[in-house]
Amino acid sequence: MKKLTLIILALVSVYFTSEAQEQGKRNAALQSAITKLDQATKAKDFELLEKEFLGIAAQQQKDWLPYYYAAFCNAKVGFINQDDGESIEPFSNRGEKQVQMAKSLLDTVQQKKELSELYTVLSMVYRTKVFINPMTYGRKYGVLSQQYCVKAQALNPENPRAIYVKAWEMYKTPKMWGGDKEVGKQLATKSLALLQNEKSDVQPHWGKIENQELLGKNK
Amino acid sequence: MKTNSVKYITIILLALASPFAYGQCRISGTVKTDQGKAIPSASVLLSPSSKGGKTDSTGKFSVEGLKGKQILSVSSSGYKLFTKDLSLDSSIYLDIILKPDARTLNEVTISAGSFEASDKAKGASLTAMDAFTVAGNNADLSLALRSLPGTQQVGDLDGLFVRGGTGDETKQFIDGTLLKNPNYPKVVGVQQYARVNPILFKGILFSTGGYSALYGQAMSSALILESSELPEKSSAYFAIFPPSFNAGIQQLSSNKRSSYGITLRYSNATFYNSIVRQKPDYFSGPEYIEGDANFRVKTGKTGMVKFYTNWNVSDVGMRNADIDSTELKSSYQVKGKSIYNNLSYKDYLADSWQIDAGLAYSYNKDHTINGLLDADGQPVNPQNEALSYKNAQRLIRSNFAQARIVFTNTFSNNQALRFGAELFYNQDRGFSNDSTLSVTDNLSAAFVEGDIYLAKDLAAKIGTRIEYSSLLNKAVVAPRASFAYRLNDGGQFNLAYGIFYQEPLNEILYQGTNLKFSKATHYILNYTKKARNRFLRIEVYRKQYTGLVKTMPVINNEGSGYAQGVELFFRDKKTIKNLDYWVTYTYLDTKRDYLSYPFALQPAFATPHTATVAIKKNFQEINTYVNVSYAVATGRPYYDLRYSIDENAYKIFDQGKTKAYSVMNLQIAHLFSIFGSWKQRPVAGFSVGVNNVLGTKQVFGYNYSLDGANKVPITLPATRFFYAGIFMSFGIDRTSDFLDKNL
Repeated sequence: MKKLTLIILALVSVYFTSEAQEQGKRNAALQSAITKLDQATKAKDFELLEKEFLGIAAQQQKDWLPYYYAAFCNAKVGFINQDDGESIEPFSNRGEKQVQMAKSLLDTVQQKKELSELYTVLSMVYRTKVFINPMTYGRKYGVLSQQYCVKAQALNPENPRAIYVKAWEMYKTPKMWGGDKEVGKQLATKSLALLQNEKSDVQPHWGKIENQELLGKNK
Repeated sequence: MKTNSVKYITIILLALASPFAYGQCRISGTVKTDQGKAIPSASVLLSPSSKGGKTDSTGKFSVEGLKGKQILSVSSSGYKLFTKDLSLDSSIYLDIILKPDARTLNEVTISAGSFEASDKAKGASLTAMDAFTVAGNNADLSLALRSLPGTQQVGDLDGLFVRGGTGDETKQFIDGTLLKNPNYPKVVGVQQYARVNPILFKGILFSTGGYSALYGQAMSSALILESSELPEKSSAYFAIFPPSFNAGIQQLSSNKRSSYGITLRYSNATFYNSIVRQKPDYFSGPEYIEGDANFRVKTGKTGMVKFYTNWNVSDVGMRNADIDSTELKSSYQVKGKSIYNNLSYKDYLADSWQIDAGLAYSYNKDHTINGLLDADGQPVNPQNEALSYKNAQRLIRSNFAQARIVFTNTFSNNQALRFGAELFYNQDRGFSNDSTLSVTDNLSAAFVEGDIYLAKDLAAKIGTRIEYSSLLNKAVVAPRASFAYRLNDGGQFNLAYGIFYQEPLNEILYQGTNLKFSKATHYILNYTKKARNRFLRIEVYRKQYTGLVKTMPVINNEGSGYAQGVELFFRDKKTIKNLDYWVTYTYLDTKRDYLSYPFALQPAFATPHTATVAIKKNFQEINTYVNVSYAVATGRPYYDLRYSIDENAYKIFDQGKTKAYSVMNLQIAHLFSIFGSWKQRPVAGFSVGVNNVLGTKQVFGYNYSLDGANKVPITLPATRFFYAGIFMSFGIDRTSDFLDKNL
């Protein structure tokens, strides 16, 4: 009987371990996608990764991260193709929707850091809407982009990605409208310094390439 | 007991162990569109196994080594995500259909014959501001739109001459109602300014043919303008652009549900003309005083009422050498006065119903005085009786009112049904020398139009319009139809057909009313492709005119004509960063037999080849904008068309073709901020510009003396037109408005 109990216990534990393994596999899928994301450079890479994150999101319906990354992929496509006008629109629209999905999975009162990350991506998504046609979309979405960047920084002043988005804004805005390249440079450098302390796990840790690009192009 | 319990436990264990007790299964299948087309490279993912793959070129996929409960997800760009819960105990085969993701597809919008410039523009589609800010526009929308294909470069006249049609065949509409007198009264040989400021509009639909059944009484073209909504903030501005002075405010109420605005403009060219010598000798003005006011209020949850009023007076008086004599001068003076009011209401009634109503009233007074003067400036009577018309006075007072209502019911797939009616009241009273001129007309119209989606990529707009004129005592039916077929690569084919009626001009109706409507039939085929901040448009058309008014031997409707051509438009915002340009080409083949033409002729305002270029370069770093427009056209025909007593008919005594036309306009604007310590920093800018910067000698045609011996070219009043000015705005960033007016 004792032996039997042991067998039962062993089997039960195997069962629960396999549950844990499945969770592990899901995380492995997410981790593997994020590893690819860390190396992605082309619009096409991000387009494919968005689908991959969506696939993961469909299976882990309670995790905000897959939606967050899908939205980030859409924002990146928009930034890379910023001179392509109307072709950005479907990506912007999907990104906006995915941010809303991710937000619905967050405890917006407690998970301040997560919300800060999400608003950073939302700020970028709104910026991609401006690229569709700055003249018609700029007034509305440029302002929204700024507002969400401010909110992201307020939720977590040390969020290097929110700082990066602000740096981008300072770089690209003409001086007359409040832009300042020197401030942009300082912010990008600060963002890079903060990024040094981050682990490359499933939590948001992107930003190095983006900041370096910003600093490299604008010496 | 022992054996029993073991048995029992074995069952539980088997149940518990089930996820890994079954054999390995395979999922295979195909992924297709809802139209049965295979989708290659769709990604297939199974969870929790993390196994997956991609579909091959025939849409097939296969995943091995699966067991138990799995969630299948299939995705592909442009399609909605497909997911399915599976419990695998044997290999299965699935036929998966992915539905298109509507968000990634653009709607099929019908665009034959039209250029839309709106605040919803994406990529390289035109915005209202793009259209206004073409160099050399003189704050006149009609002049700005001459940079688009289908229009003629007619340097001596204002308005839009579209596809073989006269300027009177293009009508402007504001929020649905007719703007009867868009420009200051005509001055022979000198373009006059627009009365309405283009800044007011957030959307323009410039139709060069085949337009909607909601509009009528324009045989060639409709310019459909939509006024702006509530402003985002209160603001004020002033601009000094000698000879013009502008100031305005726009006040948004604290609850952000209503706003009002007032602007004033004054322009007097006397000083400018003393520096830049003009060919005509201006003895009065040119002077223009203009004011407008608007009031906008939200009503209920979704309603909006807009009121716009514009009043203005003008005075232009000039002397030119008399063409029929060497020592005399002829003087011409026109004083204009106009009041325009437009009240519109828009609301959503029940779920899918929308109402658009409008009322317009305008009053217009034109007083023209012609005189013949001797060398000392004293009035003289011509010796020749045939020249007595040179001492003449004419005064016309026009009252115009319009009421209009349109109901729209929208259905799924952007389908809609629209219907409505409108009434136009038109009354002219006046005199020309000692004869009285008078016209009263009530024109009523009813229309219905449906937007129908025939298939996913095929849409139609089919409508009809019935018009009845009390003066002509005739009713006409004008059917309209257009179709759009979208290709997969973003290209689109459009087809349009329509019949367009127009009443004879009041000028004709003063002399007789036993007439009927003139008629134009349009056939249009168009191809557009918009992608990645570039926009290509090609259009071919054929237009048939019947019932044109002829004035010889008596006033009748026996005139006819045709126009056909090809038009190209290409805009590119992508190739060079911060450089936006478009190029157009217009080919026009047209002849018409109308007015006093003895037979069908190529009209004097039409030329076969026209090309335009508009370039806008933004030097973002230094807040400087450079704007260049260029137009080139082949020569226009001119005729010495006079009555021949011998033949008792009009006869061409001389004819020819003017030299080719070309014009380049340049504008440079620079923005800067001042009073940096202010919380709301005002924005300031200056702008300088030259129209006809290269100083090309332009000849638009020739005037002939009565005996045909003296032939005088019609040219610009001055070779170049210069302007420079400053602008300052408070409150809101009104940069765009500044650029509207000055770029």
